[in-house]
Amino acid sequence: MSKVKTHKIIGLRSTLLAIVFFIFIILLSNQFDAYNQSQLTNIATLLIAVFSITLLTGASGQISLGQGAIMAVGGYSSALLVTRLGFSMWISFILAIFISALFGLFLGLAAARLSGPYLAGTTLVMALAIPSIAVRFEGFFSGDVGLSVDYGNPPDWLTNLLGEISIEVWSLYVVLPFTAIALFAVLNLSNTRTGRTWRAVRDNEVAAALAGINIGRTKVIVFVCASGLAGLAGALYGFRGLVAPSVYPTDLSLTLLTAAVIGGLRSIGGAIFGTFAIVFLPDLIEKITKNFAIPENIGTYLPALTIGLLLLITVILNPRGAAGALEHLRHRKRH
Amino acid sequence: MLEITDLVTEFDSVKALNGITFQAKPGLITTVIGANGAGKSTLLRTISGLERPTTGSIKWFDQELTHKSVEAIVRSGIAQVPEGHAVISQLSVAENIELGGLFRRRIARGDLAIATREVYELFPILYERRNEPAGSLSGGERQMLAISRALVSRPKLLLLDEPSLGLAPLISAQIINIVNQLCRSTGLTVLLVEQNANTALAVADHGILLSLGKVVADLPAKIMIADSSLRAAYLGY
Amino acid sequence: MNSFLTALFSGTAQGAIYALVSLGLVLVWRGAGIVNFAQMGQAMFTTYIASQLIQHNYSYWSAFVIALVSGAVLGALVDLGLMRPLTSRKNSQLLNSQSMRTTIPVIASLGILGVLKALAGILWAGEERGFPSPVAPNAIKIGSTNLAITGFDLFVIGVVFLTLVLTTIFFTKTGMGLAMRASALNPEVTRLSGIKVGSVRTLGWAISGTASSLAGLLVTPRTNLSPNTLDLLLIIGFTAAVVGGLSSLAGSVLGGFILGYVISFVNVYSAPENVFIAILAFLLLALFIRPQGILGSKEVRNV
Ligand SMILES: Nc1ncnc2c1ncn2[C@@H]1O[C@H](COP(=O)(O)OP(=O)(O)O)[C@@H](O)[C@H]1O
Ligand SMILES: [Mg+2]
Repeated sequence: MSKVKTHKIIGLRSTLLAIVFFIFIILLSNQFDAYNQSQLTNIATLLIAVFSITLLTGASGQISLGQGAIMAVGGYSSALLVTRLGFSMWISFILAIFISALFGLFLGLAAARLSGPYLAGTTLVMALAIPSIAVRFEGFFSGDVGLSVDYGNPPDWLTNLLGEISIEVWSLYVVLPFTAIALFAVLNLSNTRTGRTWRAVRDNEVAAALAGINIGRTKVIVFVCASGLAGLAGALYGFRGLVAPSVYPTDLSLTLLTAAVIGGLRSIGGAIFGTFAIVFLPDLIEKITKNFAIPENIGTYLPALTIGLLLLITVILNPRGAAGALEHLRHRKRH
Repeated sequence: MLEITDLVTEFDSVKALNGITFQAKPGLITTVIGANGAGKSTLLRTISGLERPTTGSIKWFDQELTHKSVEAIVRSGIAQVPEGHAVISQLSVAENIELGGLFRRRIARGDLAIATREVYELFPILYERRNEPAGSLSGGERQMLAISRALVSRPKLLLLDEPSLGLAPLISAQIINIVNQLCRSTGLTVLLVEQNANTALAVADHGILLSLGKVVADLPAKIMIADSSLRAAYLGY
Repeated sequence: MNSFLTALFSGTAQGAIYALVSLGLVLVWRGAGIVNFAQMGQAMFTTYIASQLIQHNYSYWSAFVIALVSGAVLGALVDLGLMRPLTSRKNSQLLNSQSMRTTIPVIASLGILGVLKALAGILWAGEERGFPSPVAPNAIKIGSTNLAITGFDLFVIGVVFLTLVLTTIFFTKTGMGLAMRASALNPEVTRLSGIKVGSVRTLGWAISGTASSLAGLLVTPRTNLSPNTLDLLLIIGFTAAVVGGLSSLAGSVLGGFILGYVISFVNVYSAPENVFIAILAFLLLALFIRPQGILGSKEVRNV
């Protein structure tokens, strides 16, 4: 009886949080120019992929350096459905989730046998190989040129309601509901029994097995869920204009991991913070360096250097990331 | 002289050693007995530096050991034969023995050859099988090899963790006898951890009975072996 | 027939380089339980050092030696400055979960990779440059017929062969080699034998750094040099190490040569764009059929 009750409360809380997030981003976008509005769309999109890492690494302890490749799977699925079979964009997004999840199932079946560095290396190879499939089967996937897709135009009822909507704002409106739903899902998940099962596997596989948890199955399920999320992110990411190998490079996978790590692998708030950081940091650095006479080649590499250093500092000083640091401070205040 | 005073070792704030104090006299065999989980292995591991004590002191003659590294402790003449026939099974018998003396191959090359010959004389079966992987040895032979690895470092204090565990009675008696002879003939100080009180007390000079991380009896071996009430209370037989 | 020989010889030369990379990965994996994803970033960096020296009129061979030494130093620094503190006791209590102890070093090595690439970009500009070789990359001629092998291939094969012989002697015949094998197999018993396992581990990182630095020097005359050039080599080396067995030094070398042949035959008989897919397929196949690798032992994998 009481169990059902807590479930409902948790559902309520995550619903509220997701709505608050949604409204916050909308309000924020009103303050922004077109460029920053599209950056905000990038954040909302990549956030879904970063959530997939929060689930995979933070909640169940598996590490993937290839989430970008799964994004490519989602991107190509939806783009092919739309361009070749004439599906509507919205349906193609939903189907992309399922296709990527299916892909994640195969991957998970292999990954469940792999631990730590093996999984990291294998997913890294995948990050490199999967985009190259598009080049190999050029006739089907359009090779390096890629498939052109976009968010289309806002429907009439919306423009009637809100007036003229710029393409940047419309992009945000398309992506944001998905982000809010993904946020709701991961928030809910981490508080349920399933989430606890995943964490048990993360913390001690032997103990979890002794407690009757099926380790292999749990890992595969996590992989499927994470792949679904990453695939959705990839589809949304592609509809900014182009689905091509260059849109999903190996660096994308590493950037996503960086966002999850610096924010705090185990924290959903951390994922949000980390995603904001990796998207806005290069802009911020550019703004600062513009005032100094810094040679161009230094300027190009400064964001990468900063992000690398941030990653190292996080790992050395505070492996729990920004979220962990915040928690630490709160703890200290209380005592 | 090994002097242990108020030694406390914790695992996640659970005290595996809870204020241990005793002494082991040089040239003699001191045996530490106690039921499973009493803290015997933790005691030996703390002496050789594998575990760090929370408080207390471990003195070997004039040296305080508690802040030294494992390597420094071994190099000052304290060798441990860990629990469970700890040899490196993928290496050959000869390599396992070589490993024990590796740290002094520059300073005492001549003596190393002598020490190696001596352990082969002590355990001729090891010489016969010197080129085979240690993993192919029987349990008793592995224990001999583990002891040999410790002996080639020319220890002054030998820490043995349940050498008879899992061995046939005849073989464990043989191994304990060899340790006994070594002690009597070379003046080696031995700290012998055993669950099997009878075998250990039969050769030991002094007995320490451990229970739940505390010393509950510290008596000459002859007296302890006769005290059946102690054993009934703490060892259950 | 001629294309077969071409594939065979270039496979051997490529495989020799992959063997070095894979050897470097396995050395660190066995010693420290870490797959060092920064390894080829380190090699890229030391190859740039050599390239700079050559531009400043140092001879090829002195630049070669300095690059190898910097490879060793860089490897040791990564261990001393980062990996050792990360895996030390105080920190691992903070990370009281099993999976995090293996995840954190992976992330740390990616951080190093990122920093090294950015630094190389800043210091030496990001564009590709050539890297010289001491032997001309032309096909060897007998009379007027071209052989399928180039002088440079022979040079690569010779250098790697010499390295492998020296490595084997080091591991099987010297005390330090024994100490390294022992530390990798059982650190506790090794420490109880009075050996400074930490220092031995750092030496492993240094040797790994040297081996990968050598791989960088040998591969860049073909591929040119940029901050990203050697990324692919890491991925191939990792696959080679898994195929051969991450726990086995001999296996890693074998895996390197196998990958060399696979890639070179795919290149010659199929098309270059199939190489990545071939690598992925080969890796997945290896993981399914023989996850411990050709020469690896089963227990070691789940540590
Ligand atoms: N590495 C460890 N982590 C946590 N607890 C431990 C560890 N090693 C030993 N203990 C605990 O310390 C106590 C003493 O163990 P031990 O010294 O191995 O006993 P003995 O050798 O006498 O059987 C036991 O309760 C054991 O569970
Ligand atoms: Mg014990």
